[in-house]
Amino acid sequence: MSTEKLRLAVVRVFFYPYHARTLLLLLFNALRWQASGQDTKDPLVTLHFKNAPIEKVFIEIQRQTPYRFMYNDRLLQDAGSVALDLNRQTIGTVLKQLFHGQPFDYRLSAKTIVVTPKKKAVVSLKRLEGKVVAANGDRPIEGASVSVDGQVVAITNESGAFSSEIRENGLVAFSSVGFVPFEATMALLSASNGTVRLAEENRLTDSIDVVSTGYQQLSKERATGSFDYISRKLYNEQVRTNVLDGIQYIANGVSLNTRINANGQLSVRGLSTIQGPKDPLIIVDNFPYNGDLSNLNPNDVESITVLKDAAASSIWGAKAGNGVIVITTKKGKYGQPFKMDISVNTTIIEKPNLYYLPNMTSSDFIDVEEMLFSKGFRLGDTANANHSPFSPVYEILFQRQNGRITDAEALASIDRFRRHDVRDDFEKYFYKKGINQQYALSVSGGGEKHNYALSGSYDRNMDNLDVRFKRATLKTLNSFQPSKRLEISIGLNYNHSENKQGRPAYGSISTTNGLIPPYAMLADPNGNALPLYRDYRQGYIDTLGGGLLENWLYYPLTDYRHAQIGNKTDDIVANATIKYAVYNNLSVQALYQYELQSIEGKSLYGENSYFVRNLVNSFSQISYSNGSVTRIIPKGQIFDRSLSKMYANQARVQLNYNHVFPKGELSVLSGGEIRQIHTTSNAYRIYGHDDEILTSTNVDLANEYPNIISGNTSFVPSGISNSDKLNRMVSVFANGSYTYDKRFILSVSARRDASNLFGVTTNNKWKPLWSSGLSWNVSEEHFYGIQWMPRLKLRATYGYSGNMAPALSAVTQLTYYDVSPYTKGNYSEITMFQNPDLRWEKIGTLNLGLDFQLFGNILNGSIDYYHKKATDLYGPYLIDRTTGLAVTTITKNVASMASNGMDLSVNVKPINGSLKYTISLNLNVNKDKVLEYYGVNYNTGGVGIVGEKGKPVYSLYAYKWAGLNPQTGNPQGYLNGEIVEDYNAIMDEGREVSGLRYVGSATPIVLGSMGHSFSYKGLGLEFRFSYEMGHYFLRNSINYSNLFSNGTGHMDFSDRWVQPGDEKHTDVPSLVYPANSSRDAFYNNSEILAEKGDNLRLQYINLSYNGYFPTAGTKRKSYRLYFVSNNIGILWRANRHHLDPDYRNGTIPPSRNYSLGLQITL
Amino acid sequence: MTTMKKSIHITWLTILCFTIIAITGCHKYLDAKSDKSLVTPSTLPDLQSILDYYLKINQMDPGAGLLSSDDYYLTQADFDGIGSNYGQNTYKWNEKDLFSSGTNDWSRTYDNVYRANVVLDNISSIERNTQNASDWDNVQGQALFLRAKAFFQAVVIWSKNYDSTTSQNDLGIPLRLNSDFNEVSRRATVEDSYQRILKDCKAAVSLLPELPLHPLRGSRAAAYGLLAKVYLSMGEFDSCFRYANACLNIKSTILDYNGISTSASYPMEKYNDEIIYASQISTAFSATNKQVDSFLYSTYDDNDLRKTLFYRSKGNGSYSFKGNYTKSISAFSGIATDEIYLMRAECNARLDRRVKSLEDLNLLLSKRWKTGTFVPYTNLSKDSLLSLILLERRKELVFRDSRWMDLKRLNQEGKNIVLKRIVDGIYYSLPPNDPRYALAIPEDVISLSGMQQNPR
Repeated sequence: MSTEKLRLAVVRVFFYPYHARTLLLLLFNALRWQASGQDTKDPLVTLHFKNAPIEKVFIEIQRQTPYRFMYNDRLLQDAGSVALDLNRQTIGTVLKQLFHGQPFDYRLSAKTIVVTPKKKAVVSLKRLEGKVVAANGDRPIEGASVSVDGQVVAITNESGAFSSEIRENGLVAFSSVGFVPFEATMALLSASNGTVRLAEENRLTDSIDVVSTGYQQLSKERATGSFDYISRKLYNEQVRTNVLDGIQYIANGVSLNTRINANGQLSVRGLSTIQGPKDPLIIVDNFPYNGDLSNLNPNDVESITVLKDAAASSIWGAKAGNGVIVITTKKGKYGQPFKMDISVNTTIIEKPNLYYLPNMTSSDFIDVEEMLFSKGFRLGDTANANHSPFSPVYEILFQRQNGRITDAEALASIDRFRRHDVRDDFEKYFYKKGINQQYALSVSGGGEKHNYALSGSYDRNMDNLDVRFKRATLKTLNSFQPSKRLEISIGLNYNHSENKQGRPAYGSISTTNGLIPPYAMLADPNGNALPLYRDYRQGYIDTLGGGLLENWLYYPLTDYRHAQIGNKTDDIVANATIKYAVYNNLSVQALYQYELQSIEGKSLYGENSYFVRNLVNSFSQISYSNGSVTRIIPKGQIFDRSLSKMYANQARVQLNYNHVFPKGELSVLSGGEIRQIHTTSNAYRIYGHDDEILTSTNVDLANEYPNIISGNTSFVPSGISNSDKLNRMVSVFANGSYTYDKRFILSVSARRDASNLFGVTTNNKWKPLWSSGLSWNVSEEHFYGIQWMPRLKLRATYGYSGNMAPALSAVTQLTYYDVSPYTKGNYSEITMFQNPDLRWEKIGTLNLGLDFQLFGNILNGSIDYYHKKATDLYGPYLIDRTTGLAVTTITKNVASMASNGMDLSVNVKPINGSLKYTISLNLNVNKDKVLEYYGVNYNTGGVGIVGEKGKPVYSLYAYKWAGLNPQTGNPQGYLNGEIVEDYNAIMDEGREVSGLRYVGSATPIVLGSMGHSFSYKGLGLEFRFSYEMGHYFLRNSINYSNLFSNGTGHMDFSDRWVQPGDEKHTDVPSLVYPANSSRDAFYNNSEILAEKGDNLRLQYINLSYNGYFPTAGTKRKSYRLYFVSNNIGILWRANRHHLDPDYRNGTIPPSRNYSLGLQITL
Repeated sequence: MTTMKKSIHITWLTILCFTIIAITGCHKYLDAKSDKSLVTPSTLPDLQSILDYYLKINQMDPGAGLLSSDDYYLTQADFDGIGSNYGQNTYKWNEKDLFSSGTNDWSRTYDNVYRANVVLDNISSIERNTQNASDWDNVQGQALFLRAKAFFQAVVIWSKNYDSTTSQNDLGIPLRLNSDFNEVSRRATVEDSYQRILKDCKAAVSLLPELPLHPLRGSRAAAYGLLAKVYLSMGEFDSCFRYANACLNIKSTILDYNGISTSASYPMEKYNDEIIYASQISTAFSATNKQVDSFLYSTYDDNDLRKTLFYRSKGNGSYSFKGNYTKSISAFSGIATDEIYLMRAECNARLDRRVKSLEDLNLLLSKRWKTGTFVPYTNLSKDSLLSLILLERRKELVFRDSRWMDLKRLNQEGKNIVLKRIVDGIYYSLPPNDPRYALAIPEDVISLSGMQQNPR
């Protein structure tokens, strides 16, 4: 059918700034209508509509005629519904009727119907005339749109000319597909004789997404690789302190895993390594960022690109194996009028819920202590020369035993403890609401030969524990174009931040015997601090030294006030780029970046801090004969200082070559890169310090002194440490792409790296990492005619990237330590063993992708399938300890793994009227498995690497569970199919996989997010869900050995088996004394504690109002007022124990926070 | 057009030069050390620094022999409190599972063998000349001494006692003699093991200075002392005497225990004048829990200062060891003159040179008793003299890692010492010459290397 030849293309263009978007429908080149033999010059239209939205009518007209509509979405917001009943009328008649009574007008310009606002009362009109040409070669641009204050007023003709009548002094914007939009004032226009030069935007065809690889800007259309692009709008839905905070909820294929790393392991497309470094490479603009990411101001971010497959990332070579995240910051543009953004926001952070932790009750804990006391547990420690402390209840029991208090008194004291939970003290005295404040200002603009961007920000955070963070940033970027061929850019960033330690967190206070008991009291009823016996026994230290020593009591409630611990970071980045167009097709670019980050750490412990008193007392030498004390460590402050510096020098020379053939285009870049990162650090300690007058006291570091309690001799800690590390890397690279007829794109890239971490032999053996890709714009083919899918592109790439561990070395090396006090020379340890075959890890990725657009522009998205195979991975190679390497394993390139996955990204706009509704869905599937690994490790509880071939890198294995013994409450397992209680034998068998049950992957197989966005007039509402599925975790439970030895309890204790029959409703084993660590290990790693990790959470809600200031000027000044709530909470989880699968081993889920902010653009 | 072409050429040339420079020049650029604190061992000070890492070289001696011996016993509560099945198994003389996998007595012993081997492998590439000859010899001698000491401690724990009739067939220890970790570990015979120990030790004698810079380092005196110990364990009393004598000819100081504060937590000085070579056992389980064998404690006279200097009352009628020559609770496992005197006395007694023997014994004891209370022994029969020396050996060398070796050699002579322990109401005993006197080698080492386990 000839209708198959219908071509459809939708072009989205920026017509004027501030995000007001005009939609140009170039459409439905009505071949069906052509085929029916109608006169193409004067088509007749038939319309039958009742209460239809006007857009629908436009589409019908476009279907029947070659006319195209051009309009601004905002203009149509106020459109009334249409009722028309016309038969074979001319276009003129139809339009007249259609626009009758509407709040806007139209204008015919060739075959384009431009919808214009109704002309208001007489405004003085001015003739706007000129010509739009390409900056590169002055080629006229046809079809460029010219708009004034957001209203399209003209379209350029074949010679690029335009003319229109406009109001005076409007801001004129020019845009055309494939060119960078340009704005100019009328004055500027008349100065340039009305000729506007538009810079080419990498042949952008039908997408605004320009991805950045750090080496080049690339339109998504020209790319063969797999990229994810995060726009500024999406990025700004969240409020953040650090640039990558919350990125996992909006990026496709990026996850943050708390199982691999308690602080959250950021990964792109799951794991690509087993033992190597797992962090993706972070690029800021052109170079890897070597400093601390928390230096950066999130308000400077323009967009973020995630490079996912080999074709996208292999340009970064041996560091790109874990994926690359490119942060692009805001820049000025040539010919852009002055623009200023002001942003202010405040975030309130709720207190964390300490009762989320499944702790044992105080009463249960005291019951256990009473039992332990009666059994004589640790009673022998009273004779211990270390005088280690006992818990308060133990001390009461001792007093009762010694007859110092009566049974009734003991009972009363203990009862008081039974009713107390130390978490109440923490919630009352330590945790408060946190407040984050953020202020940012940025200005940018540009003339013909110069553009600039300048921004600054100030952050002031105070978390729940009064940890303070302050940051000020300043960033400038200036670009000059002294001649057409030469461009020079110079940038300078300065960031300063300060951290200060706050109050102690729950769980951070411990004694030499483990955790503080759950009934510990930090304050008396009047709020006065109570002492905690942390290192030594109560009573012993009270009398020790006969009054010659400092008070040796530790008061957790107030002790933190005596210490000022914090650090200051200064980070300077300076960069320069020179770009010279040698010839139209060829340009040379030289880039250089210098970074200096300096972190100064200061810990000042006051004279009255426990830290100082404890150290001073420990080293005090008492002479009882004459009642004098010699203090080896003087009274006074102890001041620890550290300074670490990082100097990074990076330089690149790059050659860009472009050639346009009649039907194709070749684009090549190649160059070389050199990097050096030098880090030094040193630390020292000052004793007897006085911060007021900066005096200090010398101490004897050279001789050993006996500890006043144990008598063990030791040196006064010097606090001195130094390190000096140097990392050098040299690389050469080349990258090329060839586009044929807009239909086929072929890309290739290769890179060779060498570094000083491996021996020269390894560098010489290293083969280059390469990638290649092919994409096919199916919808550009003549034969393509799927109307409901106007865009279809297929992509296929394959290639390699690498991964390296900077801590490895291939030669035998010693690490020198300090001078031995005895032999007076340095002593050293052998820390690196000759390992000549050590080399970089290699990750091969196959990616098959499909980009599509359905039903006009209602739905678009992409789907990628990938297969990664990582070989030469660092893995532990178990060695016989007889070899004497002092390690159980050495690292060799012995492991390999593979993963399969799918990334789906879909954007749907089901409602696109004055109310707009957009759904964006990210669905990521990632299944990895170990191919080769030496040394397996089971029963990891879902936190370690298992290494069983064919199973995920992080897998959960558990002992098979045979219930509790009905007579004893002992846990039972299986050994050779029989129910047994021989835990050692079960564990022996559990070294083999057959003795265990494979429960499942410990990392999510499916994860992603779903965002919903509504906007109505200026109001906006966005909320985002995130989900994880297909993984398992081991729930914690009671471990009696740990309970006895270090006080780690669990609320499951109260459900334990006590008497026969209990096994019917509980799986918690009975209490036994002495504890059997094997029994505990068996139970705590048995399948009965395995839980599904699936969960769904509502991550954030953003409510905003966008408005314009009522101004008479030519520029629109806008503002955005927003409210964001983040970490809203888990909506559903598969486990029945109310556990958050991401926060379960003694960690508390991040608390909800609320932000209110205002952003003004002038 | 031509200028344009020229400039293209120039650009290409620049790029080409840059690339060539980058590729050829990068070798030197990339030779830079990645960490300043990392050093490739290439000089004598480098090698000496490996041997001076006292925290590993001198404080990681194996404790399994001491833990298996009868110097001490545990109460049931202390036994329960050990917390490790391996420690409990050792206490009960289990046939297997005495060591956790990974780091244990075996690995710590062989870690020092490896350090010695790295030194010995690398020293050959350093030229020995007139300037550095004494340092060169000293470093090599220390490495040989260290290796011999480690091998000897291993053979005492993991092999049967030396018996010249069976030593050609008895399972000894793996003799790792270079630092190549790819070499598979195999057990040598007991004969070969002893010959290697003697060979290394004798080579060290000729290389080392008579006395060290610090007792943490090996010396000729230490090598003589070690040789005496090795020969004693072999039952070769002539040789033992010869080396003990040679050792005392270099260093013969004996501390007078009078004047040492009995109330101090750790009364003895760490590197005191008796110490020829300082090393200690890495604590296996808390020594404060261990109670000294009550019979042994009862043999100390009230005027014997060791009774109060070595022990602390636990308040319940039992006594725990205070720790002595390490100035901590860790057990001393080095070489000190008191032990050498006792060895010389024993050899003289066995060789029926009773007067010489009594001289050494009386000298030692006179410094151990309160001044004026000790009545020197005279005129004892050979047997009663030997018994007396062996008892004094126990009393002097308690918690000094010599008892396990003594139990093995004395039982081989027919002393018929049966060790007994009670745990959970069950009696455990270790009869003389039981195969368990050669402890089970860590199971993970057996499975990774494929070497033979001790017969059970």
